[in-house]
Amino acid sequence: MSTLASVAKRFAYALALIFAVLTVNFVLIHAAPGDPAMVIAGEMGGADQATLDQIRVAYGLDKPIVEQYTTYIGRALSGDLGQSYIYNQPVIKLILQRLPATVLLVITALLTAIVIGTLAGVWASRRPQSLGSGAVTVMSLVGYSMPTFWTGILLVLLFGKVIPILPISGMRDVRIYGGWWVTSLDVLHHLVLPAFTLAIVYMAQYSRLSRASMLEVLSADYIRTARAKGLSEGLVIWKHALRNALMPVVTIAGLQFGNLISGAVLVETVFSWPGLSTLAFESILGRDYPTLLGVLFFSSVLVIAANLMTDFAYRLIDPRLRNR
Amino acid sequence: MTARDPMPGTSQESPLLEVDGLSVEFQTRDGVARVLESISFSLARGQTLGVVGESGCGKSMTALALMRLIPQPPGRIVAGQMRFEGIDLLGLSDAAMREVRGNRVSMIFQEPMTSLNPVFNVGEQIAEAVRLHQRLDRRAAHERAIEMLEAVGIPAARKRVDDYPHQFSGGMRQRVMIAMALACNPSVLIADEPTTALDVTVQAQIFDLISDLRSRTGTAVILITHDMGAIAEMADRVAVMYAGRIVEEGSTADVLANPLHPYTRGLIACAPGRRTAAHGEPLEEISGTVPSLLERGAGCAFADRCREVMPKCRIGLPAETRLAQGKRRVLCWLHADASVPGAGGAS
Amino acid sequence: MSDTRQSAPSTPSPTAPAGSAATVLSPSKEAWRVFRRNKAAMLGLILLGLVILTMLLGPSLYPVPAFDISGKPFTGPFEVASLPLGSDYLGRDILAGMVVGGRATLAVGLAAAAITVSIGLTVGALAGYFGGWVDELLSRVAEIFQVMPSLLFAMVLMTLFDPSLTTAIIAIGMVTWTSTARLARAEFMRLRKLDYVNAARAMGARPVRLMVREILPNAAPPLIVSATLIIGVAILFEAGLSYLGLSDPNVMSWGLMIGSNRKYVLDAWWAVTFPGLAIFLTVLAVSLVGDGLNDALNPRLHQR
Repeated sequence: MSTLASVAKRFAYALALIFAVLTVNFVLIHAAPGDPAMVIAGEMGGADQATLDQIRVAYGLDKPIVEQYTTYIGRALSGDLGQSYIYNQPVIKLILQRLPATVLLVITALLTAIVIGTLAGVWASRRPQSLGSGAVTVMSLVGYSMPTFWTGILLVLLFGKVIPILPISGMRDVRIYGGWWVTSLDVLHHLVLPAFTLAIVYMAQYSRLSRASMLEVLSADYIRTARAKGLSEGLVIWKHALRNALMPVVTIAGLQFGNLISGAVLVETVFSWPGLSTLAFESILGRDYPTLLGVLFFSSVLVIAANLMTDFAYRLIDPRLRNR
Repeated sequence: MTARDPMPGTSQESPLLEVDGLSVEFQTRDGVARVLESISFSLARGQTLGVVGESGCGKSMTALALMRLIPQPPGRIVAGQMRFEGIDLLGLSDAAMREVRGNRVSMIFQEPMTSLNPVFNVGEQIAEAVRLHQRLDRRAAHERAIEMLEAVGIPAARKRVDDYPHQFSGGMRQRVMIAMALACNPSVLIADEPTTALDVTVQAQIFDLISDLRSRTGTAVILITHDMGAIAEMADRVAVMYAGRIVEEGSTADVLANPLHPYTRGLIACAPGRRTAAHGEPLEEISGTVPSLLERGAGCAFADRCREVMPKCRIGLPAETRLAQGKRRVLCWLHADASVPGAGGAS
Repeated sequence: MSDTRQSAPSTPSPTAPAGSAATVLSPSKEAWRVFRRNKAAMLGLILLGLVILTMLLGPSLYPVPAFDISGKPFTGPFEVASLPLGSDYLGRDILAGMVVGGRATLAVGLAAAAITVSIGLTVGALAGYFGGWVDELLSRVAEIFQVMPSLLFAMVLMTLFDPSLTTAIIAIGMVTWTSTARLARAEFMRLRKLDYVNAARAMGARPVRLMVREILPNAAPPLIVSATLIIGVAILFEAGLSYLGLSDPNVMSWGLMIGSNRKYVLDAWWAVTFPGLAIFLTVLAVSLVGDGLNDALNPRLHQR
């Protein structure tokens, strides 16, 4: 009973956040120097007076600011994020077209980072003073310090010139034509490099985190109890220790969804991956503000959704948080 | 529910557990610390041995050594033998030792609040040991877990078996630990300060529980504590430890009535409740603190705090004195002449 | 109430080795001693010093204007004496670009980090100290900023407003302050409850004074570490923005070099590799120093 109430509470809270982000968007449009109508029209070669007037009426820019605000919110919540003046399509349509590619990229990167990072961290924690552990620490520092786009470019160099075994651009090979299975393989083939590039920074973080967390957990009393029960070292580590050690990693990983989307901007441009961020970039070049702000808003919604899911996932893993 | 029958080939008379000359060293940043020095004792079937001493005297370390749970990089068993039911524990492979742990020899620890894994329910933690050692299937193990919870006095066991550790109080968690330890009918239960972290009222309950279970199952118990009252009530024999050595050992009645080693006398005297001090007078205390285990000389570690210290105490230790047909031992110059001829001594 | 450092329970300093005549050093000297022994951290410090030195002296020692066409395009590194690291697709000197580019990167990085820490510290301190509705309100505000993907938000800001270095500094500051705020809030909440704070409050100290004189010195260690790491984050951010072409196009920066030469990477690998290497080494240096500071200022167990 109380779980349902807390779930509802969280959803309501998420909605409130969405409202808040919309408000920020609204403030941005009106705070930017210049005429909001021009911001909306995009400085696409300078819209003429007629279009500007049209926009003014359509967006109610001649009305009091509060009314404008409510109109804006109302439209946004019904899915109308405006019209792109470059593509001449509703913004929401453009976003939904590009969304799957970004989501695929981000989720793959996140999962890869969690899995590899955790494994590396656990491995390193088993041999605290060894060369292997030191290597993991060094590599994680290196991975953390490398600019994502630079890593991507280096990989492009590596696989473009030196060992051309992976595609370095785009999501699909237009020459490949086939059923569902063939297409998926093709996409996966193209996904490898971008996902890996994006994952590197986070792999670095998670390996450090899981190593530290594992070391701490392994010195806990209940691990001593597990050993005293006669459990094999494998059971002790993978059953008893890991679940406890994973909790910080999961928390942090979930909260980094926003960062991942940011990182995706850089990766998508390097690999020409047709996702949301490429759309954002194109709209910057074309001064297509409705689209740009639409992307910002939509990404925020994604992050809010991800935070919500992390919250639930965390409750699943840690029984102490249930029934709260 | 009885403790396991002895292995074929061992008679009922031979001791269940025999420790001889056990010595353990620890590598620290500042040098090598000898945390256990020539520990020897034996435990008969169904017997309860109490081990007392101040913090840091090596009581817990002895227990960990018995279970071979001493962390190997800094720690090392450097000498001695341990025989359980005739089996040489130190010679066992890791896999064989794991079969002994939790199964034939079990241990419960001092901190019930942190000794249970917070992410698994108590039923699972008990059943795990049973599944592993007794090869029961899930359902049978689950039933056994409920049975054990009832045995240790957890009300509504069938419901509570699915609860998580954080849903139990400290005393209840310790009961769960006991249930977990006894689930496979071990011959020996090592209880390392089981009540130190609990409220006074709960302490009595836990001791009663251990007492009760012990008489029902015939399990031998090694009770490690600094509570002399518990020793008086529960232990058949008692070993007094100081700075890594056993300084006195004998039947509880004997040792309490007639303590030989000055340290034992001090311990008994300063136990609250003993009416050695008149009402209103300050409690007795043993002044000074335990010396660092890094700085041991060859002499008696208690020398600086002993009221009856003699010059030769600082130079060396006597051979162990055995009295009363070997049933009483003491390591002190005060009694060094009273030894029974022919008794060997630990060095 | 003269020296708060003594009256406050400072973070536990490493104990002197057993047996030595225990010369108890002040916490900062002790921290420096630990730091000095950390080889990685010292390496980072040296590296950082080199970068700063290059940034300060470089343009005078190698006065080639970065935007000028200095030679043939696509000259490789170490081929021609006048172009030590080669030239890019326009013929601009790579080495010159790197020497000059450091300034923008570091300047923006440091300034943005300063803003981040200022905002984050203030917000976090207020939220942590006062609690209640102040905390609720400020935490919600922080959360709004946190859900918007930082780079995207910065991109929007750079697009809507005029793309200068100042805008970049402010934009980066605005999107990264939330993590500092969270840390500051946790620290202030924790320290507020300690006895010595209550004692000071019982003596009539007012909140601001309490926060600055009593709590802040003890909250400083993790905040200093965080600030150092934020510098690294800000540098990466600036690099990202200029890579995307969103920063001031008239200011040479390492990110800008990579961004403008991206299309030609397969033909002129040096034009993107060297600037990127510079960014990497700088951030690495900062991270190493930050780690070293962490070990020095927050000593816990001796094992790692």
